Amino acid sequence: MSVLTVDAVSKHFGGLRAVDGVSLRLEAGEVRGLIGSNGAGKSTLLDLIFGRTRPDAGTIRFGDTDVAGLAPAARARLGMGLVLQVPSVFPDLTVEQNLRLGALPKRLSTPAGDPAADVARVLDLVELAAMRQERAGHLSHGRRQWLEIGMVLLTRPRLLLLDEPTSGMTRAESRHTATLLRRLQAAGDVEAMIVVEHNIEFVGLVSDRVTVLHRGAVLASGTIADVQQDPAVQAAYLGRLR
Amino acid sequence: MQPVGDRTEDPPAAPAPGPGRSTRRLVEIALLVLLVALPLVTNDTFFIDRVGRYFLFAIFAISVDLIWGYGGLFTFGHAAFFGGGGYLVAMLTTRTGWFLPVPFWIALPLAVTAAAVLALAMSYFVFSGREALRGVEFAVVTLAVAVLAERLANAGGTVTGGQNGILMQTRLGIPGVISLHRGYGFYALTGLLLVAVYLGVRRFIRSRPGLVLRGIRDNEDRVDLLGYDVAQVKRRAFVLSGALAGLAGALFHVHEGIVSPGAVGVGSSTLVLLWVVLGGRGTLLGPVVGALLLPHLTASLSGTLLDTWLVTVGVILVAVIVLLPAGLLGFLAKEPEP
Repeated sequence: MSVLTVDAVSKHFGGLRAVDGVSLRLEAGEVRGLIGSNGAGKSTLLDLIFGRTRPDAGTIRFGDTDVAGLAPAARARLGMGLVLQVPSVFPDLTVEQNLRLGALPKRLSTPAGDPAADVARVLDLVELAAMRQERAGHLSHGRRQWLEIGMVLLTRPRLLLLDEPTSGMTRAESRHTATLLRRLQAAGDVEAMIVVEHNIEFVGLVSDRVTVLHRGAVLASGTIADVQQDPAVQAAYLGRLR
Repeated sequence: MQPVGDRTEDPPAAPAPGPGRSTRRLVEIALLVLLVALPLVTNDTFFIDRVGRYFLFAIFAISVDLIWGYGGLFTFGHAAFFGGGGYLVAMLTTRTGWFLPVPFWIALPLAVTAAAVLALAMSYFVFSGREALRGVEFAVVTLAVAVLAERLANAGGTVTGGQNGILMQTRLGIPGVISLHRGYGFYALTGLLLVAVYLGVRRFIRSRPGLVLRGIRDNEDRVDLLGYDVAQVKRRAFVLSGALAGLAGALFHVHEGIVSPGAVGVGSSTLVLLWVVLGGRGTLLGPVVGALLLPHLTASLSGTLLDTWLVTVGVILVAVIVLLPAGLLGFLAKEPEP
C-alpha cells in the first residue's frame, strides 16, 4: 500500500488555480522531490497534504486513511510531520526542550514516559548535543532548521514533508542537510519524504524521483535525470535556472 | 545512527550565560527567609496584617503570570475570578434560604470550584475549534468579561448587593479554636498558602503540560503542527489560573469584610497586570515581588505624600518599566525553566 495517495486535488484562491488536479503516489522508502518555479503550487500542495489548507476537489489518503476533514494536529498524530521553510522552533526553550516537545506523547492522557534516550539520539544526529542547554532562539538559521527536523523526527512520522529545508542556508549547510535526510531514510526513521526545493543540486542529492509542478499542475515526473532532459521542463523551469 | 559530520562552519558565538538556576534558588530562599523573619523582627500587627493581604495579591499575580507569562494569554479580565471568588463566598455565607447560609470552610471550596468552572466554560468558548481566539482577540474578550462582571455586580440587586456590595459575616479561622482573621494568624495562613501555590504552579510549569504551555507562548502553530491539542493545554492552565485567582479573592474579601463591584472590574484586572509587569512577567517570582512592592509603595506614599502620591507612584512605575523593561526580576527569565 502506498504511504500517500493524492488524487486529482485542486485548490483555487479566487481566480488563481494554485493547485490544479494534481495526483501523485508515494511509496514506502521513497524520497520525492517537488520542484517548480515560484507560484507553481508546491507549498500549497504540502499545505493540502498536511491539512493546513482544505482542497476544493480531490482526495488525499494517508496509508488507507482518507484524511479529508482532519485538522493538522490530527494528521500529525496519524504520522505526518511538516518542516516549514522558515524554521519554526520554540525560541525561548532550550534545544533539549524543543526536542522533548517533539518526543513526548501528544495526548496529555497518555503517560509521558521518559524520552531522554530518543532525545539524546537525535541531539547527536543533528549535531546539537553540545548546545542542548542553549535557547533555540540563539541558534544560527541552519541549526534551527536541523533542530526543527530533529523535533519533527521525534514525533516518529511515517511521512515527512519538508518545505524548502535549505532556504537561507549556505551550500555547506545544504549538503549537511542532504546528508542528514539520506541518513534518516537509510536508517528507516521515516517511511517516505516529500521535499519541496528550488535547489536542484540538493534535490539530486536527496530524491529518488522528482515531480515538477507548473502553474499548479504536474508538468513531469521521473528521476532527476529524466526531468532535466524533458524539453517542457527545461522551457518552463530549468532553463530559467541556467 | 552516526552524526551527520561534514561540519564546515564554526558554531555561532554562544550567548552570554544568564544567571544560573542557582540565582532563582537564591532569590527563592531570600524571599522565604524574609517571609519567616518578618513577623519575628516586628511587633507591628497592622503592618503584618497588611503584608498578609499582599500575599493574597501575590497569589492573584501568580495566577495571571501562569497564563500570561507562561502561556502568552494576555488577560484584561482576571478580576472576574478574583472578585467572583469574593462574591460567591459572600453570597454563600450571608444569604438565607434553601441550603444557605453555609459555613465559610464549605463556601471557600465551593467558590474556588465555581471560579474553575467559570474558567472552564470560558475556555471552551474561546479556545476551541478552528476559530479559537488568541492574542488581541482573547484580550478583548477578557476585557468584555470584566466589564460585564462589574455591570452584573452593580445591577444584581439583593443578590449582589448592588453598588454597596455585600458585607461579610464570616471570619477566617476555626471558631473557638484559632483566629486567622487578623495579624499574625492571617499572615501565617496567607504566607503558607502563597508558598504552597508558588511551589504548585512552579511544578505545573515544569511538568509536561507546562512545557507545552510554554511552547504555545513561543510558537502556538508549531505546537499544533506537532500534534498537540492546543486548546486542551490552554484550558488546563486557564482553569488552574481561574481557581487560584478565585481562592485569593475569596480569602481577601473575607478578610476585608466586604466585596463590591470594583472587585470584579477592569480596575482590579489592570492593577494585577501592573504587579506582574513590575516584577517581571514569566518569572513567577517577579509577580510575587511586584504584588508585595507596589501595594506597599502605594500604601506608604499615600500616607505621607497626601496630594502627590498617585503621581509619584506613576513616575516610579514608568521609571522602572523604562529602565528595566523585563521587570525587577526580569533577569530570572534569561535562564530557561527546567
